[in-house]
Amino acid sequence: MSVSLFDVWTTINQFIYDIWMSVMQWDWLNDHLRAVLNTLYYTPMGEFLRTSTWGWPLFESLHFTGMSVLAGTIVMFDLRLLGFARAVPVRAMHKLIPFGIGGFLVNMSTGICFICATPDQYLFNAAFRWKVIFITTAGLNVLFFYTRVFRRLETFSDEHHTPPIAARLVGGVSLFAWVGVMTAGRLLTFFRP
Amino acid sequence: MDPFFLSIENSALSVWLRESTTTWAFPFVLILHTVGLAFLVGVNVAIDLRALGGAMGVPLIALRRYYRWMWAGFWVNAFSGVLLLIAYPTKALTNPLFYLKLTLIGVGLVLAVKIRVYVTSGAVGPTDVAPGPLRRLASVSLLVWVASITAGRLLAYTCSRLTVETSCR
Repeated sequence: MSVSLFDVWTTINQFIYDIWMSVMQWDWLNDHLRAVLNTLYYTPMGEFLRTSTWGWPLFESLHFTGMSVLAGTIVMFDLRLLGFARAVPVRAMHKLIPFGIGGFLVNMSTGICFICATPDQYLFNAAFRWKVIFITTAGLNVLFFYTRVFRRLETFSDEHHTPPIAARLVGGVSLFAWVGVMTAGRLLTFFRP
Repeated sequence: MDPFFLSIENSALSVWLRESTTTWAFPFVLILHTVGLAFLVGVNVAIDLRALGGAMGVPLIALRRYYRWMWAGFWVNAFSGVLLLIAYPTKALTNPLFYLKLTLIGVGLVLAVKIRVYVTSGAVGPTDVAPGPLRRLASVSLLVWVASITAGRLLAYTCSRLTVETSCR
């Protein structure tokens, strides 16, 4: 008997699907979620994206721009944490992070507007579940970074010091999570219910 | 041009990209194109932001190491872009916006090369404010990349012909 990578993938995906569906079918949450979704659906933003010709493409462009800013700041910082471009003083490079948070907020806002426009297209979509999981991973990783690594930035600030293992771990997880977010995001259209 | 488009659309690669139901055909090429975009534009954003005073303390020359990631992103996108073009040649080549997008990318790359001269010269030290011409180049660079992203995204909504045989929508 052999277990292929595909079996592992299918099992994990099924597991996430089961948890997601049990949450979605939980009566209390379902009642409230339906009310929330209904409210979202009839928000001016949802209405605007559904009815206007250029609203959706414009918001998508903003979403991709936010992604590029996030990649240009957070992902570049991740590469530095991994030990690339060691001539870059890591504390000073960290000043780019607020721009990345800006990009993230643009993408949260435009993303929530997409969900408002067609909630069921996202909430019953396997790619969306993966996207949420990758964003959550990135978020927990940020917490780990600020509690465990941030105050030690000075210890590897110049180019002669290899970043400590914790820093490289944070950089690697963040890079993986954001590429995962992009991948899952791009797959959304192909997993529509 | 139709016979030329048809000959591409009838090729085995084009048919496979359009009609294969596996995730590894068209969706995978789109994923490559998106991740490549993030690295190509991302590195430009990082360098432009430093030039505009966003991360004082970083000597501009130290960022030159990131250029390899930018070019990796560029080549991934040139490759995936050609595959997307092979999949739907009529869709792209009959849309004026496609040529605008290519022009904007060309301008973005020329600006990146001009900015690179300042980066490698080492003239902008850790706490130096970038000179005026570099700041202007960086602002235009940011605008051009946002414009090329927008043009690229609009391609999906402005096409008139999907293939030689079918129209969009």
